[in-house]
Amino acid sequence: MIVVDRLVKSFGKHGEVHAVDDVSFVAPAGEITGLLGPNGAGKTTLLRMLATLVVADAGRATIDGRDVVADRAQVRRRLGVLSDARGLYPRLSGRENIAYYAALHGLDGAERERRIDRLVDELGLADVAKRRAQGYSQGERMKVAIARALVHDPDTILLDEPTNGLDIMSVRALRDQLRRLRASGKTLLFSSHVMQEVAALCDRIVILGRGRVVAIGTAPELMDQARAASLEDAFVTLLGSGEGLAA
Amino acid sequence: MNRALIVARKEVTETLRDRRAMLMTIATAALAGPIFLALIFNMIASQGERARTLRLPVGGAQYAPALVAFLEREGVRIQPLPADAEARIRAGELDVALVVDPAYDDQVADGKPAKVSLIYDRSRDRARASIDQAESLLRAYNRQWGAQRLMLRGVVPEVAQPLDIVAVDLATPQQSGALVLFLVAYYGLFAAVMGGMPVALDATAGERERQSLEPLLATPASAGEIVVGKWLAVAAFALLVVVVTLAGFTLTLTFAPLPPVGVPFLFGGREFVRFLVILLPMIALMPAVLLWLGSRGRTIKEAQTNLSLLLFVVSIVPVAQLFLQRREPDWLVAAPVSGQYLLLNRALRGEALAWGDLALSWVVPALLVALALWGMARRYADESVLAGK
Repeated sequence: MIVVDRLVKSFGKHGEVHAVDDVSFVAPAGEITGLLGPNGAGKTTLLRMLATLVVADAGRATIDGRDVVADRAQVRRRLGVLSDARGLYPRLSGRENIAYYAALHGLDGAERERRIDRLVDELGLADVAKRRAQGYSQGERMKVAIARALVHDPDTILLDEPTNGLDIMSVRALRDQLRRLRASGKTLLFSSHVMQEVAALCDRIVILGRGRVVAIGTAPELMDQARAASLEDAFVTLLGSGEGLAA
Repeated sequence: MNRALIVARKEVTETLRDRRAMLMTIATAALAGPIFLALIFNMIASQGERARTLRLPVGGAQYAPALVAFLEREGVRIQPLPADAEARIRAGELDVALVVDPAYDDQVADGKPAKVSLIYDRSRDRARASIDQAESLLRAYNRQWGAQRLMLRGVVPEVAQPLDIVAVDLATPQQSGALVLFLVAYYGLFAAVMGGMPVALDATAGERERQSLEPLLATPASAGEIVVGKWLAVAAFALLVVVVTLAGFTLTLTFAPLPPVGVPFLFGGREFVRFLVILLPMIALMPAVLLWLGSRGRTIKEAQTNLSLLLFVVSIVPVAQLFLQRREPDWLVAAPVSGQYLLLNRALRGEALAWGDLALSWVVPALLVALALWGMARRYADESVLAGK
């Protein structure tokens, strides 16, 4: 479970850019929580704070009861992150890319091979993983990056715009994988600016706008709250304007 | 396994996969020795060649037939003086020319010193041997003639030579060929930078450019572990290239049919090991500095600009030391690059290496390694490293 409690983060010389401004929400285990917001709403910054890469100016966040700042090392061990930056090492094969992260998470020997085999199988990477990452398509890169983030069987998984640049087949494969993870009781937090993506997958939606939480709820709850007939109308109404929200 | 070692192993594997770059690096390192030694030895040999049969254009030879005869007896080939002799000497086509003054005969008859002019351009290294030979022959003629005059007056020639100058040249055989020494030392130092450069670039700015740094930083590997791992990998390649470069010099000097130039040169297995020991601080330091500079670049291009500064410093310091022909102050041993260059020169000249000096040459580089790695780890622990993709 992820608990975010009044997180604040500003950038710029005098902290004049409020990337995340007093954000609170809870992402329970066994659910997929969606962070929905237009570009620049603070999604990436929020996920980076949860991934222990960026320290908040104020407020705190815990993952399964561990503080992301004070218990950073422990948090990292149980966390799988698919960040906005998801480069692979082009001269290593897909399998080697995954194995590198497995090793950094302390896995070795037969256990490591078994985990990699399982992910390669689940994500349909059997042929891809043997090749060097140099020639991968967007979808292949993405799948290997997912496998890399999941290889240590983390309890909590953060995904920053995971469907960006993927074709429909890859998106479906990704959705299946995320549903499998949900079924096994993991906590999933998933950011996107694509509404359909969030609607199709998420149990709970947190709408962010200009660094603030605009609304939280399930899709029906949000439609209710906005008195809108469709989710799209609900988003637009809740954000107060049609600011840059991709359809 | 330790995480730093995991990082190091991955960087090494990745670098080895880049076959073409690897082959280029190794080939350049291995060929530097043979090519430069061949060029230098040929130059020295051709200098010797020129000196052995001095060709001397003489103007006004008819005014001093005795002098010309003396020179010919000494094996000099007398040639007519071309009209544009001075221009040709300036252009380096002629080494040296002799002009006898038309008044030579009259001056001799009057018992005055007779005037001959030796024309040369001493800034031309290749001409130096010919110039020296022509000068010493003229002095010898001068002495011989003077001694004859003294004897005619019933004076023992020794009266005019109160000094008996015996030249004792302390240059051991290894001390000759300073240029060769310089080159071997220079390339040894250079190899430590060149060997680590591509790996360091790839492991820092390359990693950022390819967007693989952020996910790496989110793993349990700490910034310190990542930095130390990368340093170990880069240092391994710096070591490899230094070994290959030195091996190139050693093998060439030992086996290649270089022209005989009378420079019995000591560079064998023992020198190879001493060189390596002297260069170890650089093999540790250069990768650390390369990584630190590389980590300050967002893209490979940006980082390359930073790195060229280091390359400049490493290449200019030994040259400066070569031209400052003074005796080096003792503290110079402690200065990175300068210290190594100084010790390399001592090793090549066959001097003993003091353990104290070796230890001293480690102090500053070791501190700088720690400082550079600390700076880089701080950079990687700072959130600003994620910005600006």
